[in-house]
Amino acid sequence: MPTLSRLRSGFERLLEYIVILLMISLAVEVILGVTYRKLGMSLSWYDEVASITLAWVTYYGAALAALKRAHIGFPGLVESLRPRLQVVLLLIGEFFVFAFFITLTWSGVQVLGVLGTDTLVSLPQVPVSLTQSVIPIGGALFVIAEALTFPEVLAKARAGLQLPDSRKGVS
Amino acid sequence: MALLLMLLAMIALVLIDVPIAIALGVVGIVAMVIADGPDVLANLPLVMFSGATKFPLLAIPLFILAGAIMNSTGISRRLIAFASALFGFIKGGLAMVNIGASMFFAEISGSAVADVAALGSILIPAMKKKGYPAPFAAAITSSSASIAIIIPPSIPMILYAVMSDSSVVQLFVAGIVPGVLGGLLLMGMAYRFAVRYNYPVEEIFNLNHLWSTFKDAALAFLLPFIILGGIFGGLVTATEGAGLAVVAALGIGLIYGELKWAHLKQAIIEGGVQTAVVMLLVASSALVGVYLTEAQVPQSLALTISSWTDNRYVVLALLNVFFLVIGLFLHSAAAIILVVPIVMPLALAVGIDPVHFGLVVTLNLAIGQQTPPVASVLITSCSIAKADIWEVSKVNIHFIAILVFMLLLVTYVPAIPMALVEYFYR
Repeated sequence: MPTLSRLRSGFERLLEYIVILLMISLAVEVILGVTYRKLGMSLSWYDEVASITLAWVTYYGAALAALKRAHIGFPGLVESLRPRLQVVLLLIGEFFVFAFFITLTWSGVQVLGVLGTDTLVSLPQVPVSLTQSVIPIGGALFVIAEALTFPEVLAKARAGLQLPDSRKGVS
Repeated sequence: MALLLMLLAMIALVLIDVPIAIALGVVGIVAMVIADGPDVLANLPLVMFSGATKFPLLAIPLFILAGAIMNSTGISRRLIAFASALFGFIKGGLAMVNIGASMFFAEISGSAVADVAALGSILIPAMKKKGYPAPFAAAITSSSASIAIIIPPSIPMILYAVMSDSSVVQLFVAGIVPGVLGGLLLMGMAYRFAVRYNYPVEEIFNLNHLWSTFKDAALAFLLPFIILGGIFGGLVTATEGAGLAVVAALGIGLIYGELKWAHLKQAIIEGGVQTAVVMLLVASSALVGVYLTEAQVPQSLALTISSWTDNRYVVLALLNVFFLVIGLFLHSAAAIILVVPIVMPLALAVGIDPVHFGLVVTLNLAIGQQTPPVASVLITSCSIAKADIWEVSKVNIHFIAILVFMLLLVTYVPAIPMALVEYFYR
């Protein structure tokens, strides 16, 4: 268990640094975009790169959110059931989560091969496969995050405890 | 029939606690594979990627970031001090301060959860210390925080604008009058409680003290002028305004000298996680969207309902009931992402203005934030106050009644949200 804990906290730190880097990049891109536009020298790559950065924040951040079990859900019904039933429903639910992200990762890898020599419109030196790589990588990170937290969630379900209330959403 | 099956599958997955974003994705994939065969899986990563690259949604992480930075600069304390000097002389002073500070904070943050976390952590303990019952303190903090999504900027409005293809700036402008009116009506209800239970005044009104707290919080008041002035004046887009808000928040943090890297780091991480949670929902809703668009489900729904009635006020009443029920079980972001693309053709078919409808939806979801079992803002407030959610709800029902009154007013007197929009933009 301590090894799993160490792995989990190391993985969490790694994802946190990636998310910090991406969030700062996003803010800097938008600020540069506004500044250059106001100076009459609009950056041709601004819209495209900022949108791609948002997608990267989405998938790296989603893996971090999975590690914190912070994705918006409705745990009320499951938590009100007997522990044995909680465990059964947890296993079914986790099956769908793993199935979705494994499918996403697998199809993401396939698509990278198809994209071949495609490049961004505004930055022809950047291959689309690089920007699109966030899908299989993000999918795989999500699967790892889910697997790392699964033993703890399972233990809580077995004990009939409530999951952490971290699913408040943003708004 | 297809929509019904998808809905049932979604509900089943959500009830067994599959995160809503993933439940949407699973249902979307299954629907696509059934309709077009397994080869369609090649589209999955492309749709999930393009679904997360919607440029106007860039405003969401930036507003979250700006709010988080502002919150780590001691701004909440300054806003509360000013609100106290301004409203503290009224009976039930701290309740008034709570609502007033929420209205000021709403101009910086677009999130009610951020509002309740930032202000509640200071005001709820202060109210309890002064003898206010914990359920009342939690209820007033929770209800007033929902004003944050009505007064601009507002994250749900940004999401709605993208999902309905309408103007985020016009939605922001439409939120001003209902937001301020809602805040004042909440103050009226709080005053009624204060008189009934003899809650104390907070401080004697003093013009010099008001001026000194205003000066102390002046930079915080500058921020909404920069953000909203820039956006409403057409100088910057909503996304660019959000970028400016980040710069201004950092600048103010440096001037106040209270910005610490440890706080900032945590704020950025939380902002990133919150953004990802919403954006994953947006991306996976694109999968369902592909199927719904191909099957023309929203259009069929619009045709069916508009063949029963084409009276826009009846349709608005139906949609209000629908959103209020949805709000019991869904978070506001999820409700907008799931429902707005489906009901939008119906709203347009009976002649409802998309901006007016946006305010109706936002108010419905503000109420949804207060109604258990899924009541994000109420739960946060209860957890700060360490109060039982049902005890808080017994008090909160009075404040929810105000929000429902506001909803009816906005629904059936469109001039309340739309007058400023008509004057400035049409």
